[in-house]
Amino acid sequence: MIKYDNTIPARLDPSPAQDAGHYQDLPVYIGPDTLEVLDGQKLSKVYTLGPDTGSGQVQELPFSNIVVGGDARLDIVIVVLLGISADVRIAVDIVGPHSEVNISGLYLCNADERLSIRTDLRHRVPECVSTQLFNGVAGGSSRVSFFGKIVVAPDAQKTEAYQTNRNLVVSSSAHAETKPQLEIYADDVKCSHGATVGQLNEDEQFYMRSRGIPEKEAKILQIISFLAPVLAAIPDARTREILTAEVEAAVRV
Amino acid sequence: MDINEEKELLRDITAKEYKEGFVTDVEQEFIPKGLNEDIVRMISERKGEPQWLLDFRLDAFRKWQAMEAPEWGHLDMPHIDYQDIIYYAAPKKDADRPKEIDPKLAETFDKLGIPLKEREVLAGVAAVDAVFDSVSVATTFRKELADKGIIFCSFSEAVKEHPDLVRKYLATVVPAGDNYFAALNSAVFSDGSFCYIPKGVRCPMELSSYFRINAKGTGQFERTLIVADEGSYVSYMEGCTAPMRDENQLHAAVVEIVVMKDADVKYSTVQNWYPGDAEGRGGILNLVTKRGICHEGAHLSWTQVETGSAITWKYPSTILKGDNSSSEFYSVAVTNNYQQADTGTKMIHAGRNTRSRIVSKGISAGHSQNSYRGLVRMLPGAAGARNFSQCDSLLIGSLCGAHTFPDIRTDNSTAVVEHEATTSKISEDQLFYCNQRGIGPEEAVGLIVNGYAREVLSKLPMEFAVEAQKLLQVSLEGSVG
Repeated sequence: MIKYDNTIPARLDPSPAQDAGHYQDLPVYIGPDTLEVLDGQKLSKVYTLGPDTGSGQVQELPFSNIVVGGDARLDIVIVVLLGISADVRIAVDIVGPHSEVNISGLYLCNADERLSIRTDLRHRVPECVSTQLFNGVAGGSSRVSFFGKIVVAPDAQKTEAYQTNRNLVVSSSAHAETKPQLEIYADDVKCSHGATVGQLNEDEQFYMRSRGIPEKEAKILQIISFLAPVLAAIPDARTREILTAEVEAAVRV
Repeated sequence: MDINEEKELLRDITAKEYKEGFVTDVEQEFIPKGLNEDIVRMISERKGEPQWLLDFRLDAFRKWQAMEAPEWGHLDMPHIDYQDIIYYAAPKKDADRPKEIDPKLAETFDKLGIPLKEREVLAGVAAVDAVFDSVSVATTFRKELADKGIIFCSFSEAVKEHPDLVRKYLATVVPAGDNYFAALNSAVFSDGSFCYIPKGVRCPMELSSYFRINAKGTGQFERTLIVADEGSYVSYMEGCTAPMRDENQLHAAVVEIVVMKDADVKYSTVQNWYPGDAEGRGGILNLVTKRGICHEGAHLSWTQVETGSAITWKYPSTILKGDNSSSEFYSVAVTNNYQQADTGTKMIHAGRNTRSRIVSKGISAGHSQNSYRGLVRMLPGAAGARNFSQCDSLLIGSLCGAHTFPDIRTDNSTAVVEHEATTSKISEDQLFYCNQRGIGPEEAVGLIVNGYAREVLSKLPMEFAVEAQKLLQVSLEGSVG
């Protein structure tokens, strides 16, 4: 069981009860389960949350939080396969300048999954870049919720932080909610977030069907292309191929 | 531009004075400080209200007593002592001339540029209801409006003259126990405006109410109720100011708007309550509940320009109940010095093919904190519903904060919701471009900020657009990011 510092669950609490109305300089927590990216280190990780089949898939992320040093780079890709009810929690502190953090994730739900993804990314120092991209499909009677927060500390100038969350709701009893948040206390920054909840585009379907692609296949192609940007973020070609095949198989279920 | 020059310019804005900060010396009658059932009864008695309204107040008061003050805003809220507020203050009527407006009051409203004498308004096209502390002072153009069947009067008059209408619609959109501040308002509301547009009538002029807090240690609790019957149209404007004082004053209003089938209501606010001084002392706590309900095919548009108040905490919202109804929310919120704003909107989609659009522009300067918080809710019945939200924040100076907290919940697989937000400072490229062409840094910022807010300002009625543009200039002119 992962032990958290007290502040980590509070940071990932989507209720506004934690709001103080001003910047809170929370201590950086480094514990035994912290994923540390040291100064100058480049780290790339792929986590697949899937059924326990002994093929390297996990049920929860193996770290309590992430701390990124200076001149470092971190790429994380999280893939949540069908049938997984999970609480994915990612708390990141960037504590050294000139670092880059990219976090992306995709999720597929087609039954009664309860999936929540929560991120809290803190830019504590100047001149770092972070991107977050989470695309997911909610089918069946699943409930997916996304909560993502970017905090830019005072004096963390020249920060660039971007976050995107896109949800496809493909069944009438599925439920999706998204809460992207920006808390910016420095002025020379470029930050943005975008969130959508919607369905498969009918024009695209019509285009494919008018060219002889059956409706079911057209929909599958649309979902795969919707998830493709996340898969493309996997740096290792072999891992990318394996996971792309796995995701495609799941979409075809 | 070097750092020193930038600092100087920033100092310039903070030095800008609040020109509405004067106090008018009129004789006023107060009721004792504090809040209890007797006070509620006393307010009701002073206003000569019927029993049902007193019952409504008492019910709300009991609900309020059982509630706790919310704390979830992104705000450093000062402690409010509800027993230290005077809940009712009225200018004493001069016994000799009971039918006329006190010349001093008329002068106050003249200073504020609110024309109360109708002849002065002939050139304009606005009917005004002016509220001074707890009572409505005058409503202009009553007769012209009455010819069309439009009722536009103070809330107290409406209770006396149109009790059936008030009773039918009061608290149907914001129930007495809706939230802490709405319950407080329901218990102690003093006056406000009432407006009824009959079936198929297009209101020929802009209706406008003007609120002013004058007396020391008082709070203002006005209540506005607008009912637009089937197929009617009205554009309603609201403005506010208060004197400069060292202590915080409370303003907890409730605005309810009922938009019947195929009716169209445009509600505009230019909020310029006293924001406190450069060190953050004093200022109005603006804690307001505004909500409208749209029936089939109806349309409600909110436009707000928020430049005042020490704390602004409000979310004008729309319940899109009827099929094919639509709503828009356009907002510019400017915070400077130690002001705090946590504002946005709620769009609740219940009907089929309902549409909503949110455009929010936040501008923070000085030590201020400016947050957008919004909810877009697609209920299971909202088939084919659509929402688009755009929230941009502009930061001027390195000590302020800009925050965005949207919340999107969908229970319908055919509804589409899109949200995007950006935060940045004024781009150096844009400034450079202007400077290169001989436009000074100060003027360039003015240009850029005005361009940034244009989408919202262009939605304001003419009379307000001019005032709003001036307000933006006063608050931000010369600031360089």
